[in-house]
Amino acid sequence: MSKTIMIVDDSPTMRQMVSFTLIDAGYSVVEAQDGAEALTKSGAQSVDLFLTDLNMPNLDGMQLTRGLRAMPRYEFTPIVLLTTESQKERKMEGKAAGATGWIVKPFQTEQLLAVVKKVCP
Amino acid sequence: MEAADLLAELDSAMLELESHPQDAALLNRVFRAIHTVKGSGATAGFTEMAAFAHHVEELFDEARMGRLTITSVMIDLTLQAKDLIGQMLDSAGPATLVPACREVVESLAKFLPHKVPTPRDGKSGPGAAAQSRQRHNVYFKPHAQVFFSGTDPVSLVDELRALGKATVTARIDGIPPLANLNPKHCYLAWEVALVSAQPASKIKEVFLFVEDESEIRIERDLTPVAGPTEVDGPLTAFLNIAAQSLQAADGFLSRLRGATEHDGACCKNYLRILKTFQAAANRQGQPEPAALLGEGIRLLEGTIAGNVTMSDQTRGNLAEGHRKLTALIQSLRKDDGRDDEISPLSAPSPIAASQPLPAAEAAPQADAPRARATIRVDQEKLDRLMRSAGELLVARNAFPLLAKRLTLEHGLSGMGKEVKDAGDHISHIAEDLQAAVLSIRMTPIRTVFQRFPRLVRDICRVQAKEAELLLEGEDTELDKTVIEQIADPLVHLVRNAVDHGIELPEARAQAGKPRAGKVTLKAYNKATNVIIEIHDDGGGMDPARLKRKALEKGLITSEAAAAMDDRAALELIFLPGLTTAAKVTDISGRGVGMDVVRSNIRQIHGTTKLESKLGCGSKITITLPASLMVSKGILVEANREEYVFPMESVVQTVRLPRSQIRRHEQSYFTTFRNEVFPVLRLADHFAVNRRTVEIAWPEEVPMAIVETNRGRIAVAVDRFLGHVEVIVKPMGSDFAGIAAFLGATIMGDGRVALVINPAGFV
Repeated sequence: MSKTIMIVDDSPTMRQMVSFTLIDAGYSVVEAQDGAEALTKSGAQSVDLFLTDLNMPNLDGMQLTRGLRAMPRYEFTPIVLLTTESQKERKMEGKAAGATGWIVKPFQTEQLLAVVKKVCP
Repeated sequence: MEAADLLAELDSAMLELESHPQDAALLNRVFRAIHTVKGSGATAGFTEMAAFAHHVEELFDEARMGRLTITSVMIDLTLQAKDLIGQMLDSAGPATLVPACREVVESLAKFLPHKVPTPRDGKSGPGAAAQSRQRHNVYFKPHAQVFFSGTDPVSLVDELRALGKATVTARIDGIPPLANLNPKHCYLAWEVALVSAQPASKIKEVFLFVEDESEIRIERDLTPVAGPTEVDGPLTAFLNIAAQSLQAADGFLSRLRGATEHDGACCKNYLRILKTFQAAANRQGQPEPAALLGEGIRLLEGTIAGNVTMSDQTRGNLAEGHRKLTALIQSLRKDDGRDDEISPLSAPSPIAASQPLPAAEAAPQADAPRARATIRVDQEKLDRLMRSAGELLVARNAFPLLAKRLTLEHGLSGMGKEVKDAGDHISHIAEDLQAAVLSIRMTPIRTVFQRFPRLVRDICRVQAKEAELLLEGEDTELDKTVIEQIADPLVHLVRNAVDHGIELPEARAQAGKPRAGKVTLKAYNKATNVIIEIHDDGGGMDPARLKRKALEKGLITSEAAAAMDDRAALELIFLPGLTTAAKVTDISGRGVGMDVVRSNIRQIHGTTKLESKLGCGSKITITLPASLMVSKGILVEANREEYVFPMESVVQTVRLPRSQIRRHEQSYFTTFRNEVFPVLRLADHFAVNRRTVEIAWPEEVPMAIVETNRGRIAVAVDRFLGHVEVIVKPMGSDFAGIAAFLGATIMGDGRVALVINPAGFV
């Protein structure tokens, strides 16, 4: 059974790029365009890893992370933040919300796969 | 499963390539097979295997581009690689295969001079890495809340293990008493002694996401990294190849021992193994094994070239060489200090980590032996054991005969008794052995049953029907072979039950039945049989309609139809080409079905019985022997020939007075306990070229009431000779079409008797 990864980003290009890379590497991918859609979709199926952008309309990455951690089903599921900011404060804030790790944008596909494999072996 | 096919394909392509090394189409075939193995391996998460397969793929990529000519050494290496891939997919702990893989990769790299083997996690190319190998002691104590950040600390420890040779110790002193323990907190810490060519920064990188809130110490340990006993050296790799080759050779030797004619395939495979082994020995600079192997190769090549049955002497020489080689390798293993090597302690499982009960102390150590508690065994070996155990059971039948002869013919009654006692003792042991061996092969029918709820649900959805499936007796055990072969017929029957049996909810409601239909699948033991029943409360079958259909299709004549009772009419469903479904759906109704079901079940010596009541539903009862190998039987004599009836088919044996047998036209009947049975005279039934000159019935007729496909019949025999244990040997392929016999068996005194197949002999 291949693992299911949800990519949450308001940029279709970004979603497409990530999806393509992950599908190519053998994962199943679910896309959501913001945190609200991610929460709805994650209730309908089981997700093994979330990759989420931080700044999104409706529900942002931080709120999504807190929302997911509040669901017993995703209490321990890895959540990786896609962030343009490499400042420590932002990362710490993300960690405090329950994120597992982060990838700094822009990133190479190898970097993406390395992180995915690391948190979701 | 897919991988197994691919590997088999690879195997055959490689063997062809051996004789046509330049064949471009073949090269492409090999390349594609390896490429697909790699691709699907990576997809399925066998990344190590994929990385390994990549090296082989490279070789054939070069070859098909014409930049490289495949030699037999490369073929050997590839086959070796293929075997390793197979093992990686099979074994739970591929880590033990790493040295052998590395060996192959290194050898392959020699053929690809312009390509530098890509070092992966510092695993390949131990020669280059050895100089810079360093030892680090890593201490890692994650934050108690680590799980809530979606991090599995064990996977981080695994990442460390991937960097080099790691010895992992779990620290459990942080675990509080059970009462205070929060199962969602992490109380464990790990100490990892890591020998790796990777710099400290790489080790630090592992903890990138957790470094802020975890306690992490990475210290360089300056004690020098020891030599080959610490790090897997090429000698170990060679010894691994040696062990595998010896094991394979062992199998071939025993197969040759049993061979009565030239077994070319076996010799060739044997030769291939020896050559691979020899190549490895040469690389390792081990002249002694190489010389011994050369001798074996010479013998085998001679046999293959001569295309003759291997002489006992040649076989003896081969076996002798094998023994010497085994001893030699054994001593090398001892020198290497690898005799009792155990793989490094595995990290505690995620469960142990997230629920660190105090008992978890023993968990890491307990993991390793538990993984070894089951072993995979070649089915062929198991079958051999089965046969031997079975033959032992039959052979013991000689003891009572011997005892009898000693007593009666030689007047040594004391001796006779002793022989009989010894025989009884052996009997008991043989029975225990048989039971033990049989139990190995027994599998609960659950494995087959568990797919049905889904099947029923899917059909219901497609057809807008409602049905519930009740499963009973899922723990009933059957021989593995039987399980494998009963699956398809059962799928068919369950499908039929829903598709044809259960009516649409409205129709059911009109008929006063609950809207949801009920299909029951039940398995249970009865004597030495296993019974499987499929019962549905659907519409049932209409005998009249079956007759009409069969007539329309010209499967029966109108006279036959007229003479048929309902029960016989129901039997029509088993005729090839008959279907009563109003329309052909993709689920069923093509009329290739029930006949195949019955013949499949017959193949595993089972019988099928159908009962159906219009409007109330149908029930199919399958009776199967629980095991195929040894069975009890009743030995009978008819026309001076001996036959065996399988015990499970004989309902009862009786002696009836001649007066109770009545004749009706060409047939005989008898009444026994108010039931009428057709009588079949075994002597007549199997009488070849001897149209009976009306043999007179004896005063008292011994009869066996036997269960057949057409119901119970009474089989008249000349004499009952008693109960016997038989192993049924299938008939040679020339006689395979004869349905009347299951096969033949060898009696305790060496005579051969035919075993009757009650399902097929009328």
